Amino acid sequence: MEKDSSFSRGSEMSLLEQFEGILEGDKLIDEIGFLGPSQFASLDQDLSGSSLDQCTPIQLADVSLETNIAELNTVQYDKNFFWNRNNKLAISTDVLSHLYIAARHAYIASAQANFDHLLEDEILKHTKALLILSCNFSSAWNDRKLVLSRKHEMALFLEELRFSSLILSGAPKVESAWSQRRWVIKIVGDFLQDSPGIIREESDLVEKIAEKSKMNYRAWGHRCWLISCMNSDQVFHELAKSKKWTELHVADNCCFHYRRELMLNLLKEYHEASTGCNFDVCLLYKEELKWTELLIGRYIGREALWIHRRFLTQCWIKHFTTNQGAAAVTESEDLISSTTQTFIAKELKFARSFLNITDGFYDALDQAQYAASYILWTLKFALSQESMHEEILSELRDLKPLLLKTCAVNSLGWETML
Amino acid sequence: MGELEGKKHVQYIVSVEKKKDSFEALVIEHLRLNGAYWGLTTLDLLNEIEAVKPDEIVQWIMQCQDIGSGGFGGNVGHDPHLLYTLSAVQVLALLNRLDVLDIDKVSDYVAGLQNEDGSFSGDMWGEVDTRFSYIAICCLSLLGQLSKINVESAVNYIVSCKNLDGGFGSIPGGESHAGQIFCCVGTLAITGSLHHVDRDLLGWWLCERQCKDGGLNGRPEKLADVCYSWWVLSSLVMIDRVHWIDKEKLTRFILNCQDKENGGISDRPDNAVDVYHTYFGVAGLSLLEYPGIKPIDPAYALPVDVVNRIFFSK
Repeated sequence: MEKDSSFSRGSEMSLLEQFEGILEGDKLIDEIGFLGPSQFASLDQDLSGSSLDQCTPIQLADVSLETNIAELNTVQYDKNFFWNRNNKLAISTDVLSHLYIAARHAYIASAQANFDHLLEDEILKHTKALLILSCNFSSAWNDRKLVLSRKHEMALFLEELRFSSLILSGAPKVESAWSQRRWVIKIVGDFLQDSPGIIREESDLVEKIAEKSKMNYRAWGHRCWLISCMNSDQVFHELAKSKKWTELHVADNCCFHYRRELMLNLLKEYHEASTGCNFDVCLLYKEELKWTELLIGRYIGREALWIHRRFLTQCWIKHFTTNQGAAAVTESEDLISSTTQTFIAKELKFARSFLNITDGFYDALDQAQYAASYILWTLKFALSQESMHEEILSELRDLKPLLLKTCAVNSLGWETML
Repeated sequence: MGELEGKKHVQYIVSVEKKKDSFEALVIEHLRLNGAYWGLTTLDLLNEIEAVKPDEIVQWIMQCQDIGSGGFGGNVGHDPHLLYTLSAVQVLALLNRLDVLDIDKVSDYVAGLQNEDGSFSGDMWGEVDTRFSYIAICCLSLLGQLSKINVESAVNYIVSCKNLDGGFGSIPGGESHAGQIFCCVGTLAITGSLHHVDRDLLGWWLCERQCKDGGLNGRPEKLADVCYSWWVLSSLVMIDRVHWIDKEKLTRFILNCQDKENGGISDRPDNAVDVYHTYFGVAGLSLLEYPGIKPIDPAYALPVDVVNRIFFSK
């Protein structure tokens, strides 16, 4: 294996210099991995190790930035330990401890000697290296915030978002990386007055990350946080846009929760505003109910779908039905809501259709279990006492033995409650 | 099923303490104070706290304190944060060395992180999360300094994070998550505000966490994980609904997550062990009243005798 002659193996500081040199030379790195020696050896070895020669204009609202990546800048590094091509960087696990110790030492030294703020660039350089190795090192994230606060340069704030994306691409659950984004956005959002653009980009980022990292609480929490910055139009748009993705990820409870939050946001608007968006919201809920029904029939035994239906039923009963039968009326005089009685009867019929299990496959058993718990939950928690007419109660009595039989694990709880 | 390999777990915890130079150990050195809490509480629950030397630990903990703010970092030289401040107080409580603390200084740090709306930030950078509410209230309660904060607004903020399914998230509108639920219910329990919880509704959500393998998950559609034996179970205990889950199946699940040869407990059977899951497995078994383990307080997450010592010997 060829060795680069300028650097000797085993010197910790030069390892760090090589690492930081690569990061400096290839500003568009979008993926970093730590590979064991055998995996590392099988990577395609590039002889020159040169970084890319590119010019990338980035435009955002009024601000336009041009970033010139170094032309034909040859970065020296030991190819036994680093591999850099096509904006990818691989580091051999053999040197991770050494690199970490060197980066930590350099970071602490520069932070402690940062009198008169002269070492801020050093701090940014060393924390970048350190965080790639140990992305949860919160003090390093904090020192970056200190430097960015003081310099207050747009380019640096935007670069911080890119750096956070780089970290998240390899470690999508890192809390510090997500909160760093929120910290930057709060500052940059006011400055740019381009909140819709930022919201869209953040939303897209979450969706991209959620594709690889299922039910990622922090990612989706970040997306929910954005809702507070949206107006009603944006909320409607998000609901429409995310529907397709959700259909392809019916086992991901997070994306359904996100839809619930968007829909709750609209309900709140509906209560506060005049009758303007009433039936748009009502129609939305009705369509969501129909859509969920379709998915439940198509994807057998999916808990997230039944949880979603509980929410929809709960809201529908509370906001769009009455005991007496007064209903919301559309522009074309069609009644689109109903009495509580009618609605519940329909729901019971729908859920009961899944209770008779004819085959023994797990999915069908799960479907029956979820249907049973849906019925019990709805009758117990979504209906007020006045709505519990004799018809519903007798239905419940009939169903009780079948319901308890169907739900093995949780029967203890239900028995107590019934 | 087998038994709890108490001695093996003690050996595992003591050995982890010594392995500080591997890359895996280096990338978690910033949360060593949390690790100390998990390890030492487990030892105490297993009646083996004598396996460590308290003086060294106390000295190291105090070195983690940031002199300026009064808060604690996760290790020496690290920035202060609520997360590590609670662990510091909990470990000192465990070792019966709360006397080394300047109570006012620590409490002022914690109380200073409360926001207008009653929520708490984790540190000076402002990130809000219901976990931080729990940490602040648990910490101040142990130090007898709850009067330094606005308890009513703190409770109101927690209530604002309640979802329609009865659960709680990290911020208002956040997805219900067993860990966040523990934090919110714990906060309400410590402040005497559990009447805000719909016990049947939340109890239902919590008991649905039990999977076919007997283990508990943290949210719908997720796999069982030993750490939820604590988050879910302690929440159920606090709202008096623990009889809604199958305790025997859960016990078997936790015991199956042990590494019976080398000690330690993993997130699920046959995975790699770590101190975090070892603590939560043993804490869960304590709540299930497994013989040979000290009882643990579900709200303070410390052995009951430690909590009693703090509250009843004043």
